[in-house]
Amino acid sequence: MIGFLIRRILQAAVVVLIVTVIVFILLRSIPGNVAVAILGPSSYRNPATLAQFNAQYGFDKPWYSQYLLWLGHLLQGNLGFSWTLDQSVASLLGQRLPKTIILVGFSTIIALIVAVPIGVWQAVRRNKPVDYTFTGLSFLFYAAPTFFVGTVLILVFSVHLGWFGPEAPQGGVVNDLTDWRDLTLPVITLALVTIALFSRYMRSSVLDNITEDYVRTARAKGASRRRVLWRHVMRNSLIPIATLLGLSIPGILSGALITESVFNYPGMGYLFYQSAQKQDYPTMLGFIIVVAIATVVGSLVADILYAVLDPRVRYT
Amino acid sequence: MGAFPSTRRRRARRLFAAVCGAAAIAITAAACGSSGTTGTSGNGGAASTPTGGTPINGGTATYALPPSTVPNYIFPFTASSDFSVSNSQYFQYLMYRPLYWFGNGASPTLNSNLSLAHPPVYNGNNVTINLKGWKWSNGQTITADNVLFWIHMLQAVGAADWGAYVPGGFPTNVSNVKATNATTLTMTMDKAYNPTWFTSNELSQITPMPEAWDRTASGPSHCTTTVSDCAAVYSYLDSQSKDLSGWVSSPLWSIVDGPWRLTAFNSDGNSTFVPNSSYGGSPKPRLAEFQEVPFTTESAEYNVLQASSHEGNSNRTIDVGYLPTTDAPTKPANATIGSNPVSNFYLDPLYSWGINYFPLNYQSTTGNGPVLKQLYFREALQYVMNQAAVIAGPLHGYGVPTVGPVGSYPVTPFLSATGAKGDPFPYNPSKAKSLLTSHGWTISGGVASCSNPTACGPGIKQGQQLSFTLPYATGTTWIEQEMTQLQSNASQIGIKLNLEPKPFDQVTAIAAGNCVVAKISCDWDMGNWGGGWTFSPDYYPSGETLFMSGSGANSGGYTNANNDSMINSTLTSSSLTALHNWQDYLSTQIPVVWQPNGVYELTEIADNLRGVVPQSSTLAINPENWFFVNT
Repeated sequence: MIGFLIRRILQAAVVVLIVTVIVFILLRSIPGNVAVAILGPSSYRNPATLAQFNAQYGFDKPWYSQYLLWLGHLLQGNLGFSWTLDQSVASLLGQRLPKTIILVGFSTIIALIVAVPIGVWQAVRRNKPVDYTFTGLSFLFYAAPTFFVGTVLILVFSVHLGWFGPEAPQGGVVNDLTDWRDLTLPVITLALVTIALFSRYMRSSVLDNITEDYVRTARAKGASRRRVLWRHVMRNSLIPIATLLGLSIPGILSGALITESVFNYPGMGYLFYQSAQKQDYPTMLGFIIVVAIATVVGSLVADILYAVLDPRVRYT
Repeated sequence: MGAFPSTRRRRARRLFAAVCGAAAIAITAAACGSSGTTGTSGNGGAASTPTGGTPINGGTATYALPPSTVPNYIFPFTASSDFSVSNSQYFQYLMYRPLYWFGNGASPTLNSNLSLAHPPVYNGNNVTINLKGWKWSNGQTITADNVLFWIHMLQAVGAADWGAYVPGGFPTNVSNVKATNATTLTMTMDKAYNPTWFTSNELSQITPMPEAWDRTASGPSHCTTTVSDCAAVYSYLDSQSKDLSGWVSSPLWSIVDGPWRLTAFNSDGNSTFVPNSSYGGSPKPRLAEFQEVPFTTESAEYNVLQASSHEGNSNRTIDVGYLPTTDAPTKPANATIGSNPVSNFYLDPLYSWGINYFPLNYQSTTGNGPVLKQLYFREALQYVMNQAAVIAGPLHGYGVPTVGPVGSYPVTPFLSATGAKGDPFPYNPSKAKSLLTSHGWTISGGVASCSNPTACGPGIKQGQQLSFTLPYATGTTWIEQEMTQLQSNASQIGIKLNLEPKPFDQVTAIAAGNCVVAKISCDWDMGNWGGGWTFSPDYYPSGETLFMSGSGANSGGYTNANNDSMINSTLTSSSLTALHNWQDYLSTQIPVVWQPNGVYELTEIADNLRGVVPQSSTLAINPENWFFVNT
């Protein structure tokens, strides 16, 4: 297992490096003029500032020189400075990441808590009204655009009923964690889509396992339906969910742009959107580094969870 | 784990389908029924400014910042990258007053009452500035040395680090700048400029800085007396300005001369201001607190605005917000304001002081340059730009036509009598067509081609078609609709516009600068970033930045000796006649395609808040004028 972990970590480092090279080249290939994007069109009244910007940030050098310079800074822990938000990329990520983890993390946890029992229930009650109802709702929420769901929730529960706030919590992390009235709607918006997805997987997985020989054997040996379901079927059925969870870690860190925009919540997704709009390359690269690392870590977590859940799986 | 009999299963499926369908319809109805564009959930708010009520002192007013904009630079000597309304008008100006304030009600003219100095005195080439003797919040008087501090910094680093710097402009065009006493500063201009122009476009750039800022990390410095010290001082202040978390506690930034001082700020953009008790101007703030809150999108702000309007006054989250133009009911043509879908708020459209246009590239290397140089062609294109229809349609009535190089709204003394009459080229496709056909163009298959090069004009070949690429910025609905309309209108007269929707930054990179001066590709014909030009901090619309030959911001490289001469007259003649004559001339020359100036913001103001209106077209806000009333 240790050897497996070491190999995976080394692989991860190579993957992240390749990702940075590809992204760096792609960013430098975007049409337009970064200097004008950052300094604004009125900077043309003083064209010398454009040349100064290009010289200052190395745009007058070949792309590989620029990349090596950036990589050198990265290896020293310097993610660069945002050209548009006037803060270091590290501090920006430090501010936005906890907010995103709160929002997406809570919604994922809630989704798990709700989706797993629903999926099991649907499988047990397959082809009955409750199964059809939840199937329909799953399709509805999975297909509905997030901005639509969020806007409807705001209009109904905030604007008309006044039960919850119309925007996500504003302020620091402490406020984000304690202001449940403002946190509820954005969490529910995200959770609904995730519940739809997870419950479908869970239903399908339970249905696959419930027809296995070991279930029939356990029943034949006198185990109750409840014991068979929760002690035997459940663990095997959670394997796809574990994979999904591991692969959702990048999503947790990269944020939910649409939800953040609808609920006025400046998280990671919105940060990337802002920086992409303005061609703020340092911030975009910093964000991509974080997500790339999260992706490889998520994949590793999924593999480990898989091994925990299924004793037949062993890594060497 | 049994199963239903088949008949029960079919009935269950039908029931399930009916329930899902009903749920979908109900949810959709709830969303659509609550949308401002298809109906109003309440009685709607006031469309006119309310009056009456008993003024009260105190209270907290909350102002919604425009979407996706947050203050991120506190030092008023701002470089291009941070030169924005959100940093200047919405943030710095509250604390650090420019030497001369522009904004008299809606008009962008000099406001002596709010200025730190009396109107400058001009005597030939000499200018004298007399300060009023107001105080900084640390008790020190605002002196001529504080002004000199700024000018020296401009001389030292302005070319690289001042966002409004123009080569050859201020302070290059002055010499012998000195403080003759504590409250008097004099300078000598390199020629006898038009006083209004010099005050509005050059002196408008000055923001006095306190003595305490004249320092570096190692201690006090001497930028005020020695220009060579200014670079290091600038570097230090710039670095301090980039430490956002330190703004509130900073001993530098807490020294203010404006009506407000900052007491809370977070990097998300939430700001809290309280009155500066040392403010020398009038009126003094009546509010106890003024807050600014950021929003990711217009929709997010509108949700909060709607929630505020429903909760009633005591639970309101925003007091001054904005209605997205797409959610605004169309305004009748003869009304100033249309109906307001937001309850407990009143509506006030805010127009920025500027013009809107898109450039034609006279230096184009696509082969279309000679065509664009023909005045008759530009007239034809302008005649199919239906500004009235764009204003009535995509802009929902909230726009004004651009009639030339001077803004048409608010109406100022700068606007000529001819300009005040409106669009000089009202929609007229038949006239446009006759202009082309009378100059040797034949329309066939939907595209005009030159059948008589002599009539078409120099450099235009036989068979050359009127086909142009037109990249335009996406993201603004009315611009997208306007472009589609223009394409359709132009096609009727044989002009083929190949629209290319692109991100804003790509369009500005292509078309916002003079391609020869900026040494960028000239391989474009036209480009529309949608925003035109806002006259700030150069409030006098004299044209040397946008339309003078060789100017970096003269996007299309328009060159006209008569125009240059007339612009030069506006810089030196104190008579408005020079400005009027020039604008009347240039509006008919159509150096760029004039397009409507859409409303900057449909401001929604809480019905118990007064003093917000009239809003300034310079986009500066004056919350010291605001107060709540008991209704």
